[in-house]
Amino acid sequence: MGQPTPEQTAFLERAMGQYGKATYNFAYRLTGNESDARDLTQEAFIRVFKAWRSFQPGTSFLSWIYRILTNLYRDELRRRKGRFQEELPEDNAPQEFAGQRPMAVTPIEDYVERQLSEPLSRALAQLSAEQRQVVVLADIEEYSYQEIAEIMGCSIGTVRSRLHRARALLRRLVERAQKPTS
Amino acid sequence: MSEHLHNALLIDYLRRELPPEDDALVLAHLEKCPACRREYEIEISLSESLRTAAAREELEFPSMIAARVWEEIRSARPSPLAQFVAFFRPAVAVPLVAAAAVAAFFFAMPLTGHESSPKINAAYYLEAHAALQAQNPLDERGPAAVQLIEVAAQDTSAPTELADDVNVGLAAPSAFDAVR
Ligand SMILES: [Zn+2]
Repeated sequence: MGQPTPEQTAFLERAMGQYGKATYNFAYRLTGNESDARDLTQEAFIRVFKAWRSFQPGTSFLSWIYRILTNLYRDELRRRKGRFQEELPEDNAPQEFAGQRPMAVTPIEDYVERQLSEPLSRALAQLSAEQRQVVVLADIEEYSYQEIAEIMGCSIGTVRSRLHRARALLRRLVERAQKPTS
Repeated sequence: MSEHLHNALLIDYLRRELPPEDDALVLAHLEKCPACRREYEIEISLSESLRTAAAREELEFPSMIAARVWEEIRSARPSPLAQFVAFFRPAVAVPLVAAAAVAAFFFAMPLTGHESSPKINAAYYLEAHAALQAQNPLDERGPAAVQLIEVAAQDTSAPTELADDVNVGLAAPSAFDAVR
């Protein structure tokens, strides 16, 4: 990596100080567990440090690092699974059984560890990785379709259809969770 | 629009992603159709619940992440290839120039019979080479090395090398003007 310049170091310091929390929370919502969120966030900031010169002042830093993080997450899922959710038909049956879990190696423990007991969070964790990303970016981060398309590297049409399916599935999962089981 | 509204349309409406004409149609329909309004309210509450859940679960940025990032950066060394190139840049380039000068000398003056001058030139270049080696970028402690690296960081090779590494669209955020 070579010796960092003072400007590069200051850039990273400021980036982590200002956007560390948002980035970490975004990573946590994508992965559903703190350990993976920490690893992803760490790697994302290292990428930011390496590529700091390519950041264009006046553009959104968060969009940039979310994009880095989204790519890292996708690569990590590929590495772990040998394939990616995208290769499966997106609108196949509810994915709570067949679909991609959050990338925790031990998801059960992580859910117990965190407050993901709540129906909605649990439902969110049952979406595919891309569906979860689009919901997080649209409904929690409140990005526009255009911005989400740029972050996720896909078309606006894909963003739109992913969001529609993800929300429909979320509603079904939440409704099911709220029904008494007996 | 006599049919009820599809949820996809309601979601786009909720996200304010509809073109003005469609937006107006949805608004008009919602005003006169309680069933669609009810459906729209469910979509709104889903979004609100997501935001509430996210806010409730908001985590602090763990200081260990920053610590690990800095540690990683400090412990990182140039890749073996980069080290190789850095090592041989002065070691190869300088003798090559010297050799070229020697060759040019002999080529230009094949009949003069002077043999001593080129050897002196070569020796000079080798000395220059040795001096450069003393400022080897591998020696990261020396101030000269730092200067060299800073200069290296300013040349175009650095971002290009990183672009592959980072695997992000470097021009990506250009559409976002606001710093969020
Ligand atoms: Zn209606």
